[in-house]
Amino acid sequence: MSDVLLILLGTSILYVFAASRIEAFIKTLALQGLLLFLLVVIDIHEINLLNIAFLILETLIIKTIVIPYFLLQVIRRNEIGREIEPNISQLYSLLLASMIFIFGFVIAYWTAHTEQGIKPLYFGVSIAIIIASLFLIVTRKRIITHILCYMMLENGIFLLSLSVANEMPMLVNLGVLLDLFVGIFLLVIFFNKIQSMYDGNHIDVLTQLKD
Amino acid sequence: MFILILFIPLFLSLLVLLWNNRLVIRLSLTGSAVLYLAAALCWWSGLTPSVPPVWLARYFQLDPIGLFFFTIMALVFSGSAIYSIYYFREHKTTTRQEALYTTALLLFVVAMAGVIFSSHLALLWVFVEATTLSSALLIYFEQKKSSLEAAWKYVYICSVGIALAFVGIIILSMGSKSIGSLFFADLYQRAGEINPFWLKMAFAFILVGFGTKTGVAPFHAWLPDAHSEAPSPVSALLSGTLLNTAFLGLVRVHEIMIRADLAAFSNTLLLVTGFLSLFVSAVFMLNIANYKRMLAYSSIENMGILLIGIALGKTGVYAALLHSVAHSLSKASLFLTSGNILHIYGSKEINRVQGLLRREPLTGWVWIISMLAIAGLPPFPAFISKFILITAFFEIGKGWLAAPFFLFIVVIIFGMGGAVFRMSFGDYQPGDHQTGKLNLAAYLPQLVFLLLLAAIGLSIPQPVLSFIQSAAAFLY
Repeated sequence: MSDVLLILLGTSILYVFAASRIEAFIKTLALQGLLLFLLVVIDIHEINLLNIAFLILETLIIKTIVIPYFLLQVIRRNEIGREIEPNISQLYSLLLASMIFIFGFVIAYWTAHTEQGIKPLYFGVSIAIIIASLFLIVTRKRIITHILCYMMLENGIFLLSLSVANEMPMLVNLGVLLDLFVGIFLLVIFFNKIQSMYDGNHIDVLTQLKD
Repeated sequence: MFILILFIPLFLSLLVLLWNNRLVIRLSLTGSAVLYLAAALCWWSGLTPSVPPVWLARYFQLDPIGLFFFTIMALVFSGSAIYSIYYFREHKTTTRQEALYTTALLLFVVAMAGVIFSSHLALLWVFVEATTLSSALLIYFEQKKSSLEAAWKYVYICSVGIALAFVGIIILSMGSKSIGSLFFADLYQRAGEINPFWLKMAFAFILVGFGTKTGVAPFHAWLPDAHSEAPSPVSALLSGTLLNTAFLGLVRVHEIMIRADLAAFSNTLLLVTGFLSLFVSAVFMLNIANYKRMLAYSSIENMGILLIGIALGKTGVYAALLHSVAHSLSKASLFLTSGNILHIYGSKEINRVQGLLRREPLTGWVWIISMLAIAGLPPFPAFISKFILITAFFEIGKGWLAAPFFLFIVVIIFGMGGAVFRMSFGDYQPGDHQTGKLNLAAYLPQLVFLLLLAAIGLSIPQPVLSFIQSAAAFLY
């Protein structure tokens, strides 16, 4: 069951690369949050209520509902539709995405042979998501897309942390969640400021400071 | 004690946010600074009040190297707090703005103290990210287009970088399965059990992440923008303490590598990034047009020197720690003075500043002397630290590296010195500049920093010396 969810998570990368509408990207992020939530639920093997409550809060409430809703509000208010002229054409970026996806499986295959007690498929897919989001940051131009890519990067890292059974102390988990939340919030605030101060919402407007 | 240091400013920041009152703002700023200085002094004199066994206490620790960086931070923060009050007055800020500034500043300082005291690797990460978030608002404080751009780049680049550091931490926890904890004490004690492959990979990721915050090349893209656009007291804090705290994170991870007998790997990476930083800084320094950016590139250079230092064995670590005091205090002094210059001339362009010594002699002299202090002219401690560093190259049998090191430093001093002298000498042409004398608060922190530096350089007091040595003994 968890394998199916992981494959779905992996294919969500392909969808993000292919889709050019920002709204579709945000909905994919919400879907990723939901898949992460299901993975967490399937994986529960301890009965620590506090931990479970926290994980549900992080995946279902924050990642699936609150942040995507917040981001949707932002793009609707600013009437942002599509990604503008990405650096690489749709076809090539889709090809690259498939290569990243395959690379993830290679990594999964490879880790399966080491004796580290890592869940191979979790590890592979999470690495694929992390690489894909870094790649998107480099190629996409809209400022809002950069925020979404950051969110996707965080989803990848969350999955990576699921691939290790070692648990972080509660204090750390809380801190990480707080940082993520405040980080997204701050990025959106700055995004709105940029919208009102500059004409475009393109990263190319941000080239005033240089040597 | 940790609890007090973390929670009192946290409480004050909330108080200020909710109760916009000029007096409360000023009292909170200076009060926190005094608290930090007092705490540092307490620890220095060996006074350690017993910590009540609360569950939080586990996550915080105080070791010599932590105290070392905390002391620097307390000094720079105090200077910055005094200067901030002067800054408020000169810029005629509204009470609301002051309140927001103070809140962000106090949160920023608490986050940095958290980085210094964390005894858990992932908790340290949480605080490093918190420093980014809290200082972003400070960088945007002047609300110009350029400061918005700087703040955006800062938050975004640092957040992505720090996220990669977290990947490194997870990878480390994969390799240290048998240890099952990320407390530094456990990691150090049982470093030999960590799988070397995963540990190396983790170090590379963490170097990228914390290196981004430390501002070393090639991850330095945010640094010149953020340092030049922030209000001057904030630039002083960013350069004088923020970079140090991220550097401390790197040092702590480097220690794991050393204990796991993988120092050869981490030393190579540190040397490469260190020299790359020197190179980048030297290239940009020769043709610099903006004096605040010039100081920022100098910070990149000095962070490079610190990384090189910790890669050179015991002597190198000692030199690096001495250099970090020299850098923090003189750079803070330079940034605060740049605030004075910006106030008088209203421009950050080097070419539009002339005859500083005639217009405002004290500012001019502080500007020149601070430059000499960072360049490493005797008696300032930067001279001693660079000197020891060069001997450290020979000590580990890599004497040939001393040549490029020396070359880059000379180029940087040439570029920076030229700009500083061009600004200071020459005739003063009255233009549409600010008139009137500057307030004492605009000088006081710098003078204190320079005096401290000269004192350290002329004769390092024995306790300070042995203290730096014990802090350096943390590594190796």
